[in-house]
Amino acid sequence: MSGHGSKLLMVLNVIALVIIFFYAVKELATPFGAEALYRDRYKELVFQCDNVMRDHFISKNQVLAAPTPKAYQQLRAAEVGLLTCHDYDVLRKKLIALGLSENRLAQIGLEAIEERAEDVRTFVETHEIRY
Amino acid sequence: MYGRSWKPMKFAISLLLAVSALSVAALGAKETVFPQMLRKLVLENGFTPASELYFNPDEGLVPIGKVIFESKKLSLNGNISCQTCHLAKFGSADGIPNAAAIGGKGEGPERLLSGAKLLPRNTLPFWGRGGKGFTTFFWDGRVDFSDANRFSQFGSHPPSEDPLVTAVHLPVVEIREMLDEDQFVSVHKVESAEQAKEVYSAIAHNLRKFEPQASESLASYLKKPATELAFADYARAIAAFIRSEFRIRETKLERFVKKMATLSPQELRGGLVFYGKARCVTCHSGRHFSDLKFHAVPFPQLGFGKNGFGVDYGRFNVTFDSKDLYRFRTPPLYNVQKTGPYGHSGSVATIKEAIIAHFDPLQLVNLASMDSFSRHEFYKRMVLSQEIATTVGFLSERDIMDLVEFLRALSFES
Repeated sequence: MSGHGSKLLMVLNVIALVIIFFYAVKELATPFGAEALYRDRYKELVFQCDNVMRDHFISKNQVLAAPTPKAYQQLRAAEVGLLTCHDYDVLRKKLIALGLSENRLAQIGLEAIEERAEDVRTFVETHEIRY
Repeated sequence: MYGRSWKPMKFAISLLLAVSALSVAALGAKETVFPQMLRKLVLENGFTPASELYFNPDEGLVPIGKVIFESKKLSLNGNISCQTCHLAKFGSADGIPNAAAIGGKGEGPERLLSGAKLLPRNTLPFWGRGGKGFTTFFWDGRVDFSDANRFSQFGSHPPSEDPLVTAVHLPVVEIREMLDEDQFVSVHKVESAEQAKEVYSAIAHNLRKFEPQASESLASYLKKPATELAFADYARAIAAFIRSEFRIRETKLERFVKKMATLSPQELRGGLVFYGKARCVTCHSGRHFSDLKFHAVPFPQLGFGKNGFGVDYGRFNVTFDSKDLYRFRTPPLYNVQKTGPYGHSGSVATIKEAIIAHFDPLQLVNLASMDSFSRHEFYKRMVLSQEIATTVGFLSERDIMDLVEFLRALSFES
């Protein structure tokens, strides 16, 4: 092989290596790092979003039952409290952008439920079909 | 040649600038949503700029009031002034859980260890006292001019129409606080406003004798002979000083709301927790970040308690209404960062713990080490705190720390 040919081959090899490196970083290292970094926060937000949604539901029912100024004030605060679900959504989208799949996020979400589950009933409630 | 190559370069630079501007605009739009939301919430819930809170009908009495505030001759038979327990270095309080009053030496923790007689409650700070809308005084609201009834221990004849001046009348005749029990006090120690007049007269005499210069100035201001100065006149001067010295000043939050200054991301998140899921705003609203009403929060009890043996019935001691058991006035929040320890008996040292007391009080007590009676009392306080339990939402560690940062934005230098 001529000198020019071997130089070209070397350059192509380097380019291929760089591409493989960046592909590996994007497809493997980034999702892995992102999960390691945000896993606990994501689980926390899964729980917290669920919690503020329940608070909001209670506040809405309080307004329906007795529409007092205090009940409206509580509902307004509960609405602001739903910002936690915005934080959850933002983190979810961020993790997807960093390469985590919807399936992986669903799995982490289930783990968050599992950590607080005390009996089989919790799993049934999570999965049963409600008519 | 330069002319030809410059055109695409100019186009590329313009394009880059346009893209940058759009990116900045997009980022800007993203950043302004939550600050705008918080500004609106702060204003909706009664925020008032500091300059609009200040009110002082006796501005001219401020220098005289300072002398009387610092005078230990306010104590008829002891060695204590208002300043002894209301110190700048402890955020206008004394930095200890239960007030260390008459019979002690030094300040703060030093006074606590010096054999001072302890009062069953945490010394209240003075920020904003007597400002506009500040009508209810003391932990249990024993001076409450929030409505036409003008409640105080003086019945239908309070010594002043001004609630702060009326409030100033109380500590000086409180045994163990600024008054020691000697023969004179024993004779006049009855629940009678008429008998108390004798004690006030004796305190005024004391001040005329030992603070002659301030007394002359006070008499001159009030256009009456010094010999006719009553305690109510000195109380007016003290109130004027308290109003001026401990007035609310501009805070970071005010600059954020009124001057479009920025809050840190943590302060901003804390603000949204305050007005959102923590629902602090349910009680900590209005001009002074307090509804100045009474609520039960299951703080741990420290010390002997107003009712003895670690019991403090709070507002009930004033109204004798069982609905008021364990209720205390909502603490205003200006400068709260500087006024620890917190709670009616100063049982928690940090703002973080004070926040936890509202939604997870069991975290703050060691039930196993408590005696049965203390556990029973704590149980009652928890049950009667159900209003708070069903209001304040669950908070994560991060929420709490954000809230603490937000509360720091209510601080100012005096």
